[in-house]
Amino acid sequence: MAASAKPKEEESPNPVLWVARPMATAARQFVKSLVRPSTIVYPFERLEDPKFRDQVRVESGHPIGIGEVWDNYRGVHALNIATCISCNLCAFSCPDLCIEMVTVPGGDPKHPKKCPQIDYGKCSYCGFCSDACPEGCLTMTTRYELSVSRRPEMVFSPQKLHEVFERKLPMNPIRVERPENEDAIRLDAPLCIGCNACARDCPTNCITMVDTPKPTAKPGEKLPRRIWKEPVVNDSDCVRCGTCISVCPKECLFWGTHP
Amino acid sequence: MWINMGPQHPMTHGLWNLRVKIDGEIVRDIDPEMGYLHRGIEKISEDRHYNEIITLMDRTCYVAGIAWEHLYIQAAEKALHVVPPERTLYLRVLVEEMQRLASHIMWYAAFVQDLGLMSPFLYGMRDRDLLLDHFQSFTGGRLTYEYMRVGGVRNDLPPGTTDRIRKTMDWLMDRFAEYDRLCLGSQIFRTRCDDLGVLKAKDCVTYGVTGPMLRAAGVKRDLRKDRPYAAYDRLEFDIALADTADVTARYLVRMEEMRQSVRIIRQVVDWLDHHPGPVMAANVPRWLGAPYAPIGHEGYLLKRHYSKGVGLSAIEEPHGEATAYVVNEGGEHPYRVKFRSPVFVNLSAAKSYLVGYHVADIPPIMGSVDVCVGEVDR
Repeated sequence: MAASAKPKEEESPNPVLWVARPMATAARQFVKSLVRPSTIVYPFERLEDPKFRDQVRVESGHPIGIGEVWDNYRGVHALNIATCISCNLCAFSCPDLCIEMVTVPGGDPKHPKKCPQIDYGKCSYCGFCSDACPEGCLTMTTRYELSVSRRPEMVFSPQKLHEVFERKLPMNPIRVERPENEDAIRLDAPLCIGCNACARDCPTNCITMVDTPKPTAKPGEKLPRRIWKEPVVNDSDCVRCGTCISVCPKECLFWGTHP
Repeated sequence: MWINMGPQHPMTHGLWNLRVKIDGEIVRDIDPEMGYLHRGIEKISEDRHYNEIITLMDRTCYVAGIAWEHLYIQAAEKALHVVPPERTLYLRVLVEEMQRLASHIMWYAAFVQDLGLMSPFLYGMRDRDLLLDHFQSFTGGRLTYEYMRVGGVRNDLPPGTTDRIRKTMDWLMDRFAEYDRLCLGSQIFRTRCDDLGVLKAKDCVTYGVTGPMLRAAGVKRDLRKDRPYAAYDRLEFDIALADTADVTARYLVRMEEMRQSVRIIRQVVDWLDHHPGPVMAANVPRWLGAPYAPIGHEGYLLKRHYSKGVGLSAIEEPHGEATAYVVNEGGEHPYRVKFRSPVFVNLSAAKSYLVGYHVADIPPIMGSVDVCVGEVDR
C-alpha cells in the first residue's frame, strides 16, 4: 500500500498570485513571531532563568525551560569528594581518556585517595563516567558556559569540580541501572601467587586473603614459590571496577559469568 | 573547461569537491572527489570497547546520530549474542523516527536555502529545535546523544514525555502544511524544480542508489517494510512514493515520509504508555566496559575464550540504506567494524543526474540529494 505523494495540479493564471500566496504565509509567521518570539536573546536571557523555568509552550509542547527537562542536560561535572571511593571506573570508562586520577588530601599514605581530574579540552560530554560511577558522586550538571582565556584553565581539578558540586546546580536526575545478573570477579586458582596486590588496591575492601593448604611435595617435584593465600571476593560489596584485574601481576583474575 | 565547486562551497554542505566540465553554461562531465572529512572511524573502532564506539557513531552523521547508533548497536548485539528487551525496541523506533523527522527538516531548511529562500530555512531550523529539545529531555544531548547501549538504551522516558511528544507531533503536522504552501504553492518553485536532476529507476538500481532518491523514481523499496528490524513489523505505515524522479519528486517523497514518521511516533508513544518494563537486558557481559589490560598484556582477555560472533545489520537511515558489520573475535574490542554509507553511493552517481543541465541547476539538484559528508568519509 503505497501512499500517494502526487501533487495537486493547480495552475493559477495570475502571476501575482504565484508570489503572493507564499508571501502571505510568511507574513503570517512574521506577525506571530512579533507576539511570541521563537528565540531567546542569549547573553541577556538564559534558559535557566526563573522566567523560563516550568514554562511550556502549550500549542507545540515545546519544553522551553521546564524543570525536569532542562535538568537532564549533560554539562560540566560535579564531584562530591567526600563520597568518592577512588575506584577508577570513571577514568576507565572515558572514551577520550580525559580523566586522570590525582591524589587529594584525605587518604592514608599507604592507600592514597584519588579523585578524577577532567580535561575539558578533550571531554566530549558523553556521560559514560557519571553512568559508571557506583557511588553517584560524579554527576553532570546543567552548567554549559566554559570559556577560559588560557588552555591550562580547561583542566578541572577535583577541588574545582567539588566547587561545582557545592553550587547545588540541578543534577542530572537520570540514574542508569546496572544489569540484574552482573558478571563477577573470578579467580584462576593455579596461577595465583598470593601477592595481596588485589586486596591492597581494592577501593571497597571487599577482597580478603584466605589461607590455602600447602600441598606436600612429591619426591622430585618442586613446589612453586608463592605465598599460600588466595583472594576471596565478596560479590555484594564489589562495585565491579576491575582494579584487581588490572593490578594482578599473573593475570589470574578475570570477569566470570554469573553463577 | 574544468572548474572546482568545493571543497568550500555553499552547495557542498560539507567538505567535498565537485569537479565540473562545462561548455558555456551546460555541464558536460562530472567528477566528485570525496575524502576531505576522513577521520578513520572504522579503524579507531578497533581500539575501543563496544560501548565506547557509540560516541563515534554520533559523529558519523551529525544530523542523524541516533540512526547510526541504532545501526551499530544492532550489529554489535548480534555479534555479542545479547537480546534487548521489548520496550527497548519501541524506544529505539521512537528515537529513530524522531531523528528522521529532524534530519528531513534539516534537509528541507538546507534545500530551500540552496534555492535562495531564506524564510523557510528559518522555519525549518526553528521546528527542528523542538525535536532537539525532546532529545535533550531524555538523552541529555542535543546533537550527540549517546543514548543506545549494548543490551538496551541508557534510560527510560521521564514522566510526561509522551504527552509532550504528542503535542509536538500535532504542531508539526500543521507546519508541514505550511511548508507545502511555501514551496508547492509557489509556481516559481515548480518551474525551477520540475524535470530537474532526473535519475530514472533503472539508473538508480544500476548505481545502487537508495533511500528517498530511489523511492522518488517509483521503486517500492524500504528496509523498514522489506526486512523489518526492531519493532517496525508491528507498526502501520506506508512507503512514500513518487514517479517523476526529479527534484520535485524527492521533495514530495521526503514530505510524505515525515508525515509517515509522525504516524509511527503516535503509535509508538501509545504502546509505550501501556507497556512499562526494563530497558536494559538482564545478562550483559561485564567485560564490555572492563578496564584496559595491563600494558604489555593486551591479549589476556583473548585467552579466556569468550564467545565469538559476527553481526550484520541494515537499517533505513534518513538518507538511504546503511549497513554495519561487526566482527567479535572474543576480545574486549571488536576485531573489525565496517559501514556502508548510503550518501557515498548517491554522490558517486552524480554524473548520471547532473550532466546535461545548467551550472545554475547544480545547487538545487545536489540539495535534493541530502548530502551528509560526515558519513560519506567516516
